Amino acid sequence: MSAEAPVAEARGSAVAAWFTADRRRVVYAFAAAVLVFVVGGILKPGFASRHSIEAILVIASFVGFVAAGQTFVVLIGGIDLSVPWVLNGAAILLVTSSLGRDGRALSAVALTLGLGLTVGLVNGLGAAYLAVPAVVMTLGMNGVMEGLTLGLSKGLTCGACASYAPPAVRSAVRSDVLGVPADLFLWLGIVVLVSFVLSWTTFGRRVYATGNNARAAFLAGIDVRIVTVVLYMLSGLFAALAGIVLVGYSGQAALGMGDPYLFQSITAVVIGGVWILGGRGHYLGVVAGSITLIALISVLQAENMPEYGRNIVYGVTILVILLLYGRGRQDH
Amino acid sequence: MSEATAYRRQSRWRHFVIQSAPLLLAETILALTLVAWLIFYYRQLDSLPTSFDWLTVLNTSMPLVFAAIGQSVVVLTRGLDLSIGGMISISVSLAATHMGASAGDMVLWTVLILLAGAAGGLLNGLLVAYARLQPILVTLATLSIYQGIAIKILPQPGGQIPEAYTNILTNPDEPTALVFIALVLGLWFVFRRVPFGVAIYALGNDEEAARANGIRVRRTKVAAYVVSGVFAAAAGLFLGATTTAGDATGGDVFVLTSIAAVVLGGVSFFGGRGSAVGSICGAFALTLVVNVLFFAHIDPLYQSFYQGLFLITAVVLGTLVGRLARGRT
Repeated sequence: MSAEAPVAEARGSAVAAWFTADRRRVVYAFAAAVLVFVVGGILKPGFASRHSIEAILVIASFVGFVAAGQTFVVLIGGIDLSVPWVLNGAAILLVTSSLGRDGRALSAVALTLGLGLTVGLVNGLGAAYLAVPAVVMTLGMNGVMEGLTLGLSKGLTCGACASYAPPAVRSAVRSDVLGVPADLFLWLGIVVLVSFVLSWTTFGRRVYATGNNARAAFLAGIDVRIVTVVLYMLSGLFAALAGIVLVGYSGQAALGMGDPYLFQSITAVVIGGVWILGGRGHYLGVVAGSITLIALISVLQAENMPEYGRNIVYGVTILVILLLYGRGRQDH
Repeated sequence: MSEATAYRRQSRWRHFVIQSAPLLLAETILALTLVAWLIFYYRQLDSLPTSFDWLTVLNTSMPLVFAAIGQSVVVLTRGLDLSIGGMISISVSLAATHMGASAGDMVLWTVLILLAGAAGGLLNGLLVAYARLQPILVTLATLSIYQGIAIKILPQPGGQIPEAYTNILTNPDEPTALVFIALVLGLWFVFRRVPFGVAIYALGNDEEAARANGIRVRRTKVAAYVVSGVFAAAAGLFLGATTTAGDATGGDVFVLTSIAAVVLGGVSFFGGRGSAVGSICGAFALTLVVNVLFFAHIDPLYQSFYQGLFLITAVVLGTLVGRLARGRT
């Protein structure tokens, strides 16, 4: 007996030590997602059915892809406002370069991801080497991408613009694998990959170090500027990936399809407990944040709440979540 | 002249250059876009812009001018106000649905709308200063809330702004808008010299030092967001006056353009540096760029491409000039 008590105590403190504020936020974010599903299920029978949950998860995955990139840049205190038109440009580039043919699918996907990486590279170079504030750099690049996309596709009236996504891309997103949409397996893969990179690689350590204190990270021998550039490239890559997945899901590209993803990705990152000034947070929380957000929007739609009500509830929810755990340090 | 005075004079001059480099740059950018506009206009029409063209540029710039001033005050505190877009929409919607053509009605609703702006800004300010939430997140949330309220007030685009009101704010025949610009410049002149202005700059530069020097940081921050809300509401009134009708999504573009104008105006994102005068220049430059593109026969589809490029180039140039100026001393 007497020998067991300290062991139990040690185990308890080990659990307490593991349960850091950051990890607690991940748990809260998942709890919030479950809560929304429970409330939705009570308000609307069938909301928490398997079919409905699957549909919500698929839509949440689109936010999740964009938010993965957003997480990377927010972790170093940056932000990527170029997401909407990188996504939209990527979707249009995919259909116009593949022309809906499977034979061209692979090169089209590679080209599209390359586009995302390139925009990210420009964002990163501007932010890291020219010291342009991230808000300004990515805002400007969003405009650049919008203009290029609209101009080159002639406002989506070009001959190839009406093409569908290649069947291969569509089935990679929509087909059933073990009774679950393939897109969710893709998301799972991304979750594992991003979490692994952030938590178990030296690169991940560099990201958190840079986000916590860029000067200290620099003095510790981290090339902060290269880390920054790589992270913006990843953000561009994920925005382009979201564009591909979205066009695979809906079949065709549309103008403005990227617009909701700017604020939604930021919201998901915040609900997920990533500290907006950088240095803390996990992608797992952001996953929960994406699900919570989309589930909430779905509940409001299922309740036939008018648009104005949805906007207000959406804003109030963000504020409540922020008040619960997004507060800055106490000052006098 | 002794060496010491020479040194002092020189260092004062350098100080002046460094301090006002961003403003000079903003004015240069505005001058360059103006010249570009004149050149392309002349090439196109073989004449210089008529007074009607000048008036159109002036009047269409007014909403952005006001939005940019509000944004500047918040950015000076190291904050950011995304909710300006929602506040402008509320303002336009209220004006389009409620304002009657009588003088009393116009005054009453102008005051009420500006008060609504103050209330919206107050909410932002309290959440930022007292609940210690990040400005970008608070105003992202309130942007959504204000957009919702605006849609509730005016579900479909429409309504009407009295013609008399348009004639006062943005008269299509007389440069009445200049009166308001002059008024704002006057207010800014005062703002820079009263304790509130000093407090804003002080806390933007160094919050801890400002607090140590007895500045009421939290109150000042709240006040900054209130100012931003009021100016956003005023921007909405000008938007309503130029479009003569309301649209509950009319303010959306100003979320990003107000930031762009402030950046072009040389207001530092790191707080404490810059001037609303610069932001006004930035707002005019952004409006002029659209005109330049039009007269340069640029396909309108490419418009955002050039605007984005313009923004990035201007900021990169600003940074380089800043580095050079500092490197010289």
